Amino acid sequence: MIITAPYRDRNPRLAIIVGIVSSGLLLLLLALWHVQVMRGGHYDIRGDAQSLRRIRIPSARGEIVDRNGVVLANNRPSYDIAIYLDQLKRESKRQRIYSVAQASVGALSVKLGLPYTLSEASVTNHYYKRRPIPMPVWRDLKPETVAAFAERASTQPGADLIVMPVRQYPQGALAAHLLGFVAKAQQTGGDDEDVERFYYYQPDSVGKQGVELACDEYLRGAPGGKTIRVSPSGNLVEDLGEKKAERGCRVTLTIDASYQRIAEEALARAPLEGKELRGAVVVLDVRTGEVLASVSAPAFDPNIFNPGTPPPVITGIFNNPASPMLNRSIGAKYAPGSTFKTITLLAGLEAGMIAPSDTWECKGSLQIGNRVFKCHGTHGVVDAMKAIRESCDVWFYQEGMKMGADVIARMAGQFGFGQSTGIDVGRDVTGFVPSPAWKRMERGERWWPADTAQLSIGQSDLLVTPLQLACAAAQFATGGVRMRPCVVKKIHTISGEIVHDAVPEVAGRLNVRAQNLEFVRRAMLGAVNESDGTAHRAAVPGLSVAGKTGTAEYDVRIEGQTRRFNRAWFMGFAPYDKPQIAVAVMLEDARSGGGVAAPVAGEIFARMFQKKRSATGDSGVYAD
Amino acid sequence: MQTSRSLELLKRMDWLLFGAMVLMAAGSVAFIYSASYRGEGQPMPDFYRTQMVWFGVGLVLYVAMALIDYRLICQGAVIWYVLAAGLLLFVLIAGTRVHGSKSWFGWRGYGVQPAEFAKLAVIVAISYYLFHRTPEQRRGWATVLGGLTLVVVPALLILVQPDLGSAMVLIPICFGLMFVAGVKVKHLVLVVALGACLLPVVWLKLKPYQKDRLTVFLHPNRDPLGAGWNLNQSLIAVGSGGFSGKGYLQGTQNLLGYLPRTVAPNDFLFSVIGEEKGFVGSACVVGLYAVILFSGLRIAANARDRLGTLLATGVVAMLFFHVFINIGMTIGLMPITGLPLPLLSYGGSFVLATMTALGLLQNIWIHRRVY
Repeated sequence: MIITAPYRDRNPRLAIIVGIVSSGLLLLLLALWHVQVMRGGHYDIRGDAQSLRRIRIPSARGEIVDRNGVVLANNRPSYDIAIYLDQLKRESKRQRIYSVAQASVGALSVKLGLPYTLSEASVTNHYYKRRPIPMPVWRDLKPETVAAFAERASTQPGADLIVMPVRQYPQGALAAHLLGFVAKAQQTGGDDEDVERFYYYQPDSVGKQGVELACDEYLRGAPGGKTIRVSPSGNLVEDLGEKKAERGCRVTLTIDASYQRIAEEALARAPLEGKELRGAVVVLDVRTGEVLASVSAPAFDPNIFNPGTPPPVITGIFNNPASPMLNRSIGAKYAPGSTFKTITLLAGLEAGMIAPSDTWECKGSLQIGNRVFKCHGTHGVVDAMKAIRESCDVWFYQEGMKMGADVIARMAGQFGFGQSTGIDVGRDVTGFVPSPAWKRMERGERWWPADTAQLSIGQSDLLVTPLQLACAAAQFATGGVRMRPCVVKKIHTISGEIVHDAVPEVAGRLNVRAQNLEFVRRAMLGAVNESDGTAHRAAVPGLSVAGKTGTAEYDVRIEGQTRRFNRAWFMGFAPYDKPQIAVAVMLEDARSGGGVAAPVAGEIFARMFQKKRSATGDSGVYAD
Repeated sequence: MQTSRSLELLKRMDWLLFGAMVLMAAGSVAFIYSASYRGEGQPMPDFYRTQMVWFGVGLVLYVAMALIDYRLICQGAVIWYVLAAGLLLFVLIAGTRVHGSKSWFGWRGYGVQPAEFAKLAVIVAISYYLFHRTPEQRRGWATVLGGLTLVVVPALLILVQPDLGSAMVLIPICFGLMFVAGVKVKHLVLVVALGACLLPVVWLKLKPYQKDRLTVFLHPNRDPLGAGWNLNQSLIAVGSGGFSGKGYLQGTQNLLGYLPRTVAPNDFLFSVIGEEKGFVGSACVVGLYAVILFSGLRIAANARDRLGTLLATGVVAMLFFHVFINIGMTIGLMPITGLPLPLLSYGGSFVLATMTALGLLQNIWIHRRVY
């Protein structure tokens, strides 16, 4: 095409316009190149950052089983009805979210006949912070309600049935203190890293006591995650992928559920003569230190610690004056009373300061200094064997003062008193062994011979836990070896890999001559099996039980008045020749060890060995 | 006019310009569809169909505009100008308020914006005015004042609607025409300098949302959830498109509604294209505009007379301003103003106005003198 040359000459300014347009378009191209090609990745990330959200999916907790695989804790489905606030809002755009939610929940409430509470704060909070996640309205519904929902209300938009795992303890209160319980973790309680990594944080259950707490790391499993894309208003647009949560490990305990039940039943049958049952039983395998049963009464049902329980029920348990949440077998300390005489005797024999043949006459009391100390009977002429068998205090007052407090305290140390047992679950209290040095340092007082006399019969300031006493009994049983008590036997991952396998561990050995130890053991055998033994009610026909009872007096000031409680004890082991189990029984408030604790132990020994016999068909050797 | 003669004339039109326009129209319908697409099974707004109707109507105007000799059209310059001013005045009284601006004549959901046609009337009026001044007169102040007066009346009427963007388009049109007509550069610079002095006054007169848009342009991250939202989301959309884009109907920014659905099909259609077709798509759009704008300038240079040159320059100035401001705003190069993208953005009045303007370009080309 020919350009109109003469005309164009008159318009050189048109060329300038061409230049302006050219540079403008070029500038746009360069800017686009910069934004799209040079900085494209940056904007791509920003786009994803504003539309992608990660949701943490809590994992199902691992099972807890007894040594034979009986399930003690697992999960059951809880059927909850939840509303999806983003869907509801989409249905009716113009209304406030609270009125929308209220209308929906109200309609469901009428259809299902369920009352509801729905606070405005919780709805708005959920709507703004956790929009794509369903908001539960009713939790843990009964099967008939679930059926009613499916029949009448499942088509209602924005409402759905969701299934959440809830911890359950199929055996109810059995071994409750040992198992512990779980609670929903606070959002801030989770790993900080997780809270940061996930936009929507759904908390796990966290173990709060016992095995649930001690093995929490294993039981918890690995949380899964889900990535979703949301619209600018936070509504779910699509699921982009999900990593399944990994179920927690299976924890096998050393506990035998049937022995645990026997021990619990036996303790519940203690002849308390109308007194309130507060006590503990510990049954140990003497060869391994495995805890076969561990009872604390009163107990609680760990099943109530789920989201469906009304809060007053739970606070009621925590405020109960009988302290049902307290694990008395490891978490409380008591004066061991006469059970401690076995240790006093061994200490004196080993120190060479007393002899089995030492005799004293018991007239029912003894004056030491200007105080009179009573015996619980008038035993006449008493030697060492009889002193244990009949639990004569006067003999021990005299012998104890002969050997001195330090000798006794040292032997108590050899039995692990005043120290943690090292049990793998829970925090056991250490108890206390008094000594002259301690009294001088802490109280600024002199240690009187009367203090030694008191210590020698297991009173004074001496305090032990039922578990410690069971360990001491086991130490007598094994001939001096004290195993570290343990509750967790094995931990398997869900794929069967063993991540923990408890190896029996020696916690301490007695440094004593065999003949001295044997003497005390024989005295304990006599205490149970002779008709005049204080522990005779623990005797089991056909089984050689050795043991010692104790009745410790303990003054408690309640509302300005001093009340005297008798701590009733039994500690012992069986069979005498080839010891397998050690038992400690403690009742906080009972007439006497011989009258109340010994029969409890007797029932435990009898039923346990009967069970073993029927299970193995042999002479009652405990089957591993 | 006989049909055979009309066909004869049509055959002479600039087919490259026509081709670019048809491609743009096809792209417009396709990406308006994408901009209103919300995923499978979701209701589909009718924008893309309506736009097709506008292109159909526009094509009739285009052909009509191409055939009637532009010199004849310009005979009525005064009538067009008065008519446009009258409509602008009338819309202030009887118009429908949309998004706070009284700039529409609404009828059954369809609307007409007189401001779009006023732009054309102003191009015709100023070109006609300048064409009738002698070269000596054009070098004097009187011509400058005359041209400015012709612009100021409709500009003020549009400004009070308020539609700052459309009012601003009149300025490059006016200056472009005066420049090409031979007005002294010194005079133009003086006018610009005076205008700059008036800027603080204009600032005080701006509506709060207009101020927001300007401050956002200067500080894009100051208020990312409020005034900065559109700019930020548009930047993310265009930027995340990368070199080759996310694919047609795959633009998540647009699909999820981060790029607000109210603006995606019209003012921010370029962001949708940029996200889904990447730099390649953006460059194609800029390339097609280059074809249209340079064709316009070629037509200006080859016009039969100075009137044709001026008319074509006016059209080019208008289109260029729209393109530069609109694309610039989607990537933060320019402040956000409601200026649509010629031939691409959804909107009847501007499609019709643009096609009329392009028809006018063809007209000048058809009636050029061929040696």
